Amino acid sequence: MSVVVVGAGLAGLTAAADLAARGVEVTVLEARDRVGGRTHGIEVAPGSWVDAGAAYLGDRHTALTALMAELDLKTTPTTMTGASRFALGDDQDGHRTRAGRFPPLSAVALGEMFDALDELTRGLRVDAPWLSADAAALDTRTAAEWAREHLRHPDARLFFPLFLGEMMAADPQDVSVLHMAFYLRSGGGVRYLNAFAGGAQEDRIAGGAHQLCQRLAAGLGGRVRLGEPVRAIRQDDDGVTVVTATGSLRARAAVVAVPPSLADAIDYRPGLPAPRSTGRTAPGCAVKVHLVYPAPVWREHGLSGWSVNARGPLLSTVDDSPQDGAVGVLTGFVTGREAHRFAALPVGEQRERAVAQAARLFPGLPRPIGFHATDWVNEDYSRGCYAALFGPGDWLRLGPRLVTPHRRVHWAGTETSTEFFGLMEGAIRSGRRVAAEIVTTYGAEIVTTHGWRDNHV
Amino acid sequence: MNVDAVSDIFRRVLENAEVSADSDFFVMGGDSLLATRVLSAIARACGVELDFDDFADAPTPGALAKKIASMA
Ligand SMILES: Cc1cc2nc3c(=O)[nH]c(=O)nc-3n(C[C@H](O)[C@H](O)[C@H](O)COP(=O)(O)OP(=O)(O)OC[C@H]3O[C@@H](n4cnc5c(N)ncnc54)[C@H](O)[C@@H]3O)c2cc1C
Repeated sequence: MSVVVVGAGLAGLTAAADLAARGVEVTVLEARDRVGGRTHGIEVAPGSWVDAGAAYLGDRHTALTALMAELDLKTTPTTMTGASRFALGDDQDGHRTRAGRFPPLSAVALGEMFDALDELTRGLRVDAPWLSADAAALDTRTAAEWAREHLRHPDARLFFPLFLGEMMAADPQDVSVLHMAFYLRSGGGVRYLNAFAGGAQEDRIAGGAHQLCQRLAAGLGGRVRLGEPVRAIRQDDDGVTVVTATGSLRARAAVVAVPPSLADAIDYRPGLPAPRSTGRTAPGCAVKVHLVYPAPVWREHGLSGWSVNARGPLLSTVDDSPQDGAVGVLTGFVTGREAHRFAALPVGEQRERAVAQAARLFPGLPRPIGFHATDWVNEDYSRGCYAALFGPGDWLRLGPRLVTPHRRVHWAGTETSTEFFGLMEGAIRSGRRVAAEIVTTYGAEIVTTHGWRDNHV
Repeated sequence: MNVDAVSDIFRRVLENAEVSADSDFFVMGGDSLLATRVLSAIARACGVELDFDDFADAPTPGALAKKIASMA
């Protein structure tokens, strides 16, 4: 074996496909009994799939768009027509309907908030945030502290956590100011990240984002092994021994393509010179809820399905109905602290609360015919969604070694990409980067070597 | 605030020099998020706080300057 890839998410599978295409012998070891990681499809009606994980993309996601073309996948637009619903007041029932997506809050206050965020991100070195001019100062404080200092207007203070929850599934207390600024810049700026039309939510992948990984894995065939959690990686001068629950594999090099805290859960011999995460690295917190109705009934009332709510569980909702119109799907996002609270409830109660809130938001809704809550908070092999959140001190400590190989162990995953960090695009770019790195580092050595030992059989 | 001053704000926020008195902000690529930044700039410059619907009603520098004048 030449290269072992740990993790069959987008990053690991992109890397493996690139390596296989260059004639490198590669095996992918995946802990779960499925590929895809943070992309996952749910079939809500025969042949109709929704995204329980990643869903959206925009035109700047060029590596993703190229991969889709290779895999013969198409986009479907997220076009929203109709009015939005907002429940932002103190009284629970103060729902308001407004044309477009703009919330019934002071536009000047929100403008001041976006001005402040713009100023924050402008000075940042996005390729190396730890080298930014104010890095040390920005890395010691949390986004919550920043908001207390910079946002005076109550409307801005109300909106900021909702905005951060929607953008990065973060609670303001969990991320450093540096990480928030980095994330916003990395994804193309506040405006691009926030926008549906012309932004990062312009399209979905027709039939579901999970098909990316399924098709990549199909191309790799028997090289992908499921149900193989990697526990340890030992290395010597000649290569690596990757130890799973059931056996071990010998290879020239390993690619670890898992989120940072899971990379740290692997036992390395010799040990890592520095960890991949710290006690302050928080998991992003998201539960994605899908309410399935016989039809998108809200459209009949002139509503788009979009809502923003100060109270949970559903902090925002969006119409994710499949294009074939077989059913109406309302997707609800539960993020930040609310995700922890919600994830702790029994399923029956999750369902009751979500259904009741949707009914208040969208009058005339029938009882749903399907309910799915995908809890990414407690997924053993994700630990954080949409992505890991770098807390105070993390960027200065972890940033400089983000992609530095540990001898024959190389790193990938969306959290190693300073471009489109946390997104599918970042995961794919990291996979491409690591494949090129492997080929440059080991060259002919890996294309010709066949000596390998496999204890599985 | 006169038309020229509002046009300048449009130019800065849209990063587009081709703004005239009757350029429609939303046709020129502006969206609601950028609109808030025009409104915060106007509030800073002259103290008039418009809301989003005011802007949607008067999305050109000419119309917006009139609205500001009527409220100042
Ligand atoms: C609810 C939600 C919504 C999102 N929305 C969007 C969106 O709209 N647009 C967008 O671009 N992105 C979105 N994302 C983010 C996107 O899903 C991720 O950035 C991307 O999928 C990460 O890919 P990855 O390969 O880096 O990591 P992962 O997908 O996490 O892959 C890592 C793989 O490694 C496996 N693994 C972990 N530990 C081990 C081990 N020890 N041994 C073997 N295997 C292991 C895991 O099971 C997993 O399959 C969203 C994420 C979530 C959860």
